[in-house]
Amino acid sequence: MTSTQPMTPTEGEPAAPPVVSVDSLSVSYRSGGRDLPVVHDVSFELAQGRTLALVGESGSGKSTVAATLLGHLRHGSRLDGGTVRVAGHDVFALPARELRRLRGGTVAMVAQNAGHALTPSMRVGRQIAEAGSDVPVLDLLEQVRLPRPADLARRYPHELSGGQQQRVAIAMALAARPRVLVLDEPTTGLDVVTQRGILDLVAALRDELGLAAVLVSHDLGVVARMADEVSVLRSGRVVESAPTRALFAGAEQPYTKRLLASVPRLTDDGLALVGDNGEREVRARAVVDADAPVAVSAQDVTVDYGTARAVHGVTFDVRRGEIVALVGESGSGKSTLAWSLAGLRAPSGGTMTHGSGDLARPARRRPAALRRLVQLVFQNADTSLNPRRTVGDAIRRPLRFFGTAPDRRSAHARALDLVRDVRLDPALADRLPAQLSGGQRQRIGIARALAGEPDVLIADEITTALDVSVQAEVLRLLDDLRRERQLACLFISHDLAVVRGIADRVLVLRHGVVVEEGPTEAVFADPAHPYTRELMAAALEPDPDARPLVEDVPDWTDAAQPGDVWTDHGGGHRVRRWRPADTSDTPDAAVTSVSEGVS
Amino acid sequence: MTTLDTAPPAAPAAADVRARTARAWRTLRSSRTALVGLAVVGVHVLLALLAPLLTSYDPIANDPSHVLLGPSWEHWAGTDQYGRDVLTRVLYGGRYALGVSVVATVLAVALGTVIGCAAALRGGWFDDVLGRVLDAVLAVPSILALLVVVTALGTGSAVIVCAVAVVFVPQVVRVVRGAALAVVPADYVTAARARGEGTWSILRREVLPNIADVVGVEFAMRASWVVLLISSLSFLGFGADPPTPDWGLMVAENRTAITVVPMASLAPIIALATLVVGLNLAADGLSKAWGVDRIREGS
Repeated sequence: MTSTQPMTPTEGEPAAPPVVSVDSLSVSYRSGGRDLPVVHDVSFELAQGRTLALVGESGSGKSTVAATLLGHLRHGSRLDGGTVRVAGHDVFALPARELRRLRGGTVAMVAQNAGHALTPSMRVGRQIAEAGSDVPVLDLLEQVRLPRPADLARRYPHELSGGQQQRVAIAMALAARPRVLVLDEPTTGLDVVTQRGILDLVAALRDELGLAAVLVSHDLGVVARMADEVSVLRSGRVVESAPTRALFAGAEQPYTKRLLASVPRLTDDGLALVGDNGEREVRARAVVDADAPVAVSAQDVTVDYGTARAVHGVTFDVRRGEIVALVGESGSGKSTLAWSLAGLRAPSGGTMTHGSGDLARPARRRPAALRRLVQLVFQNADTSLNPRRTVGDAIRRPLRFFGTAPDRRSAHARALDLVRDVRLDPALADRLPAQLSGGQRQRIGIARALAGEPDVLIADEITTALDVSVQAEVLRLLDDLRRERQLACLFISHDLAVVRGIADRVLVLRHGVVVEEGPTEAVFADPAHPYTRELMAAALEPDPDARPLVEDVPDWTDAAQPGDVWTDHGGGHRVRRWRPADTSDTPDAAVTSVSEGVS
Repeated sequence: MTTLDTAPPAAPAAADVRARTARAWRTLRSSRTALVGLAVVGVHVLLALLAPLLTSYDPIANDPSHVLLGPSWEHWAGTDQYGRDVLTRVLYGGRYALGVSVVATVLAVALGTVIGCAAALRGGWFDDVLGRVLDAVLAVPSILALLVVVTALGTGSAVIVCAVAVVFVPQVVRVVRGAALAVVPADYVTAARARGEGTWSILRREVLPNIADVVGVEFAMRASWVVLLISSLSFLGFGADPPTPDWGLMVAENRTAITVVPMASLAPIIALATLVVGLNLAADGLSKAWGVDRIREGS
């Protein structure tokens, strides 16, 4: 340990600009009697008012590095070497009392899931006050742009939305007026629109208060927007460090190039295939035959949860070989719709039909032949496989259950074929799910769905939990499979860039209502509904100079009336009627001004 | 648990079972607790089964000429007030204790597991009604309930087995239901539902293997409680009928003579204690070796 300087907390800012300096930091984790290095020789400096992003995939050690700024090491971890200096203090040499003063006072952290970071049984206002601040609570709430702060301070955390909770967490972090803000995946798990709001807030506060910020993220779009400098981490080592603009314009390391290239973009008009050195090749979309048979047809489907209606009269067809995307924020009813199709939740109205039967009945009452043909792939590959059964077993079960394989021996052979079909080594079939990586598990989830030889595949946010490079591989697999097997695929996602690359048609859902639908190209070229425009404006591209796809998002109200719901933009692209929010009091005038061709 | 549902007709499945057995044995060997416990229970089972070969005395025939003898080469643990060899009666006594306890525990745990899982899986009114009924049963103290049943229906082994099952099922249901509730929302259960599998099949394939450790621990705890409870019944005179060699009954018969022939009371107590400790160690260690440790092996 190097010697620490005597502390002078009352003095002003140190003359030397770097407020954070990490010098050849190494951390290891003790597991099974061995020391596993988690962070190896990481160094960086950060000046007041600047933002540094630590980027990497899961397991890269980025969160571990961020936590060391607060002098925190996860249980079982050990500092092997190096120093972390914050505002002139070596945090690992500070006595406990000083360290406590440093945390909160000089460095504050905003964690990933604010809903878990807030005490559920304490009113928001009291929690913020507890953060030990001289600044009045209401001022803090106002500072994080929360509406009606007096009212909000009296609420409990569960009464707030995810975005509001995150704002409260930021207010708590700011309470003691820190100089360094550590943001650990601050917007992961939030909707795009909410994410955009939080990021704008953090950027504004950083400039207002002159904070230095360390941003941990796996999302290169977030990083491009927020950071001044970027350090790319892989397996605990810094692969590349550069100013943001330089990094995104021309990364030097192949790993960084691959990482950057793997991010789907809103401007891709097909699925991007990434080479070993990060070269991108955009594969043209598969052409769906004009006379491809309709595999699934939904007419005016409504789904209720008790008295709450999650899906209001949604209508769509999916043809063989076609990928139709359902896009929307959480709570838009897209997953509910998927579960209804899979027979897990009976619809309360409308019809859902498959070429060989009625899908309105729950799975248990569908004939086996029909159940086999409509299969679901889950979002979270960690919980979609039984941890006690080998993955081969997981695939063999539907083979035997649906009778696709007549006997045990052929089931075994077919299962190995399926593992091969999802581009995995058949030797993995004897492993337990815990012995596979997230991407491998998701592939097994797809293989299990394919075991019934379905013609309809429902993919419910299947890449959301995956790292970006793995996401690219899984998307490619899905695209290959639908070409090979002429699958009709309902692809559910909140990520517009992913949808742009893979889907043939898009339905934009908002509060259970389709507000816009059409061929992917048409919708992205000319998003006509304000909600679609809002989603696109909020999407972040991995490019600091990217111009938002759309600029203006008008205020609007719904103007759909029975029998007159859609504005047709031609070629199957149609938009739910809307009108600007406060231009006119007479709905008819507004409707006529917007509508041209009536569907 | 996992080896139960794959019979090995085809070659690949046979290899699979061999691999599982090997893995089960490997993890088992790593748990000293399980080995010691199994060994103790194994010795008890062996002694009970081989009792007629190990001793030439009759466990129930009276012998007035050898009453209340201390330990000697002829009678290692002495004789009781009717001149019966104590060691012989302890050896034969294991048959009753083990037989009735094992059957009762298996019945209680099996019933409780199925009902608990079904309640977690079905939910709704079934779960609600079941919960209230179980609360009512749980409100009655177990030994009291047993005494009432035995007094009303007689003291046959079948009656005791059923009564013990009825008394212990609610507690098993409670624990198993709690464990199963954590498994039921998992996507692999949802996938099985979407596949249209029946409740029983989901239970057996998806839920049970994931709560096997809970069921194992539950079996351990209930088994030792049941052994003690049944011995208590015998001690109170509601279990085995007098000439039958049974540990609880032996303690009751010989406690008046404890100052004269202490071994006549101590021997069955030692037998009972070792069995209970062995059961606990065995099932506890087993559940850890096959349940918790297999997951750890994976990661």
